[in-house]
Amino acid sequence: MRIIADYDRCEGHGLCADQAPDVFDLDDEGDLIHHFDGAELPAEQEAAGQRAIDACPVAALRAG
Amino acid sequence: MSSTIPTYRPDVYSREAILDPYPHYDQLRALGPVVRLAKQRALAVTRYDDCKQVLLDDATFVSGRGVALNPVANRLSRGTTLNSDGEEHDRRRKILASRLTPKSLRSMREEVERRADAVVAAAVEKQHVDGVADIAEALPTSFVPDLIGWPQEGRENLLRWAGATFDSLGPVNAQTLRTAPSTIGMMRFARSVVRRDAVLPGSMGADLLEKAASGEVERGECPALMIDYLAPSLDTTISAIASALMLLAEHPDQWAALKADPSLIPNTVNEVVRLESPLRAFARDTEVGGVAVPAGSRVVVFYASANRDERVWDAPTSFDITRDAAAQLGFGQGSHGCAGQGLARLETQSILRSVVERVDRIEVTGQLTWGLNNIIHKLDHLPLRLVPVGEGE
Repeated sequence: MRIIADYDRCEGHGLCADQAPDVFDLDDEGDLIHHFDGAELPAEQEAAGQRAIDACPVAALRAG
Repeated sequence: MSSTIPTYRPDVYSREAILDPYPHYDQLRALGPVVRLAKQRALAVTRYDDCKQVLLDDATFVSGRGVALNPVANRLSRGTTLNSDGEEHDRRRKILASRLTPKSLRSMREEVERRADAVVAAAVEKQHVDGVADIAEALPTSFVPDLIGWPQEGRENLLRWAGATFDSLGPVNAQTLRTAPSTIGMMRFARSVVRRDAVLPGSMGADLLEKAASGEVERGECPALMIDYLAPSLDTTISAIASALMLLAEHPDQWAALKADPSLIPNTVNEVVRLESPLRAFARDTEVGGVAVPAGSRVVVFYASANRDERVWDAPTSFDITRDAAAQLGFGQGSHGCAGQGLARLETQSILRSVVERVDRIEVTGQLTWGLNNIIHKLDHLPLRLVPVGEGE
């Protein structure tokens, strides 16, 4: 599973980082960091990744 | 196809239904994914997955022909972010959201926390308070109008005007008619503020008028955008704060859990917004006919019902601050998801942080009352006793 982040749409609410702290983070500026951008999620992160997609308030994340 | 859609005859916007909507939502969810509301001549979407699908599919379900349940409000709210689609929406949304993202709110965090603590300290001092007037309203009304840039004059009307603006988005009923003068008052005032350049310097409103001066925004759009800023920034957050206090007072076990682990505060806010969603529902127009919904239908998305859908939530009517409530739909979702949710979360979390620190026990001491509003689900009065830390019996 891959997660595609739409950085233009992201407003930095950070709910993804709460749901999947090993996949997403916010940097010191409050901008999104996607640790697996363009890469497959490790299998053990898939459930958390899906929760992050579901929780994103502006639908900036999708499985791809 | 439309003949297979079940019909629901009771009025979900009657006075009784506004005060206690949940039995209606339960019946609507049980009837089917899409149910015709006989009284409103619109299609209700009340299950979580379907609500989410509508919210995320803004090519099919458009907002530009209005999100209200009556044609007058849909015409009057043209030009707002709420009421637009596609590139036009994205452009307005960027203007609106740029000052409201968690990133740009960082510089305000300390100030909001300080104000929240002052509000809670004053309430604890009094011990017997109205959780709505003394706490929930006190925080947002103390700084949000400044942030948006409303002049001092006319502020005494803002809460009433903002509430009426929401009311006007419901169907035409006694409620809409009763509050119509206030809705018009808000529009007139917004126009006059823009015409006179009367916004406070350094505010979001000042940003907006600068963009109008540079041609980035049309000046004619500005009154609607000012209302876009203000109307949703008060009642919604007030609702969440008041409901949080009510739920924590009514559930001592959850209060104890929160006292023991304040890191549960952010999720508590999600859970409060899930269980007592401040916004009942908004409508959209159907551009493309799908399998179940004919093109041209008005579709009403009931966030407050989706958030209690037994298909996705275990024990949906229980207040449980440890459940994962992050995917609740109380702020909407997708391109029209609440632009001010970062601020709403900051305000509500700040109040809860101070309450957890300063209060030992919260008790409801009298009859609480819910407000009458077509769109906003909010307590009007919440008599509370706040037992200060160190004085617990």
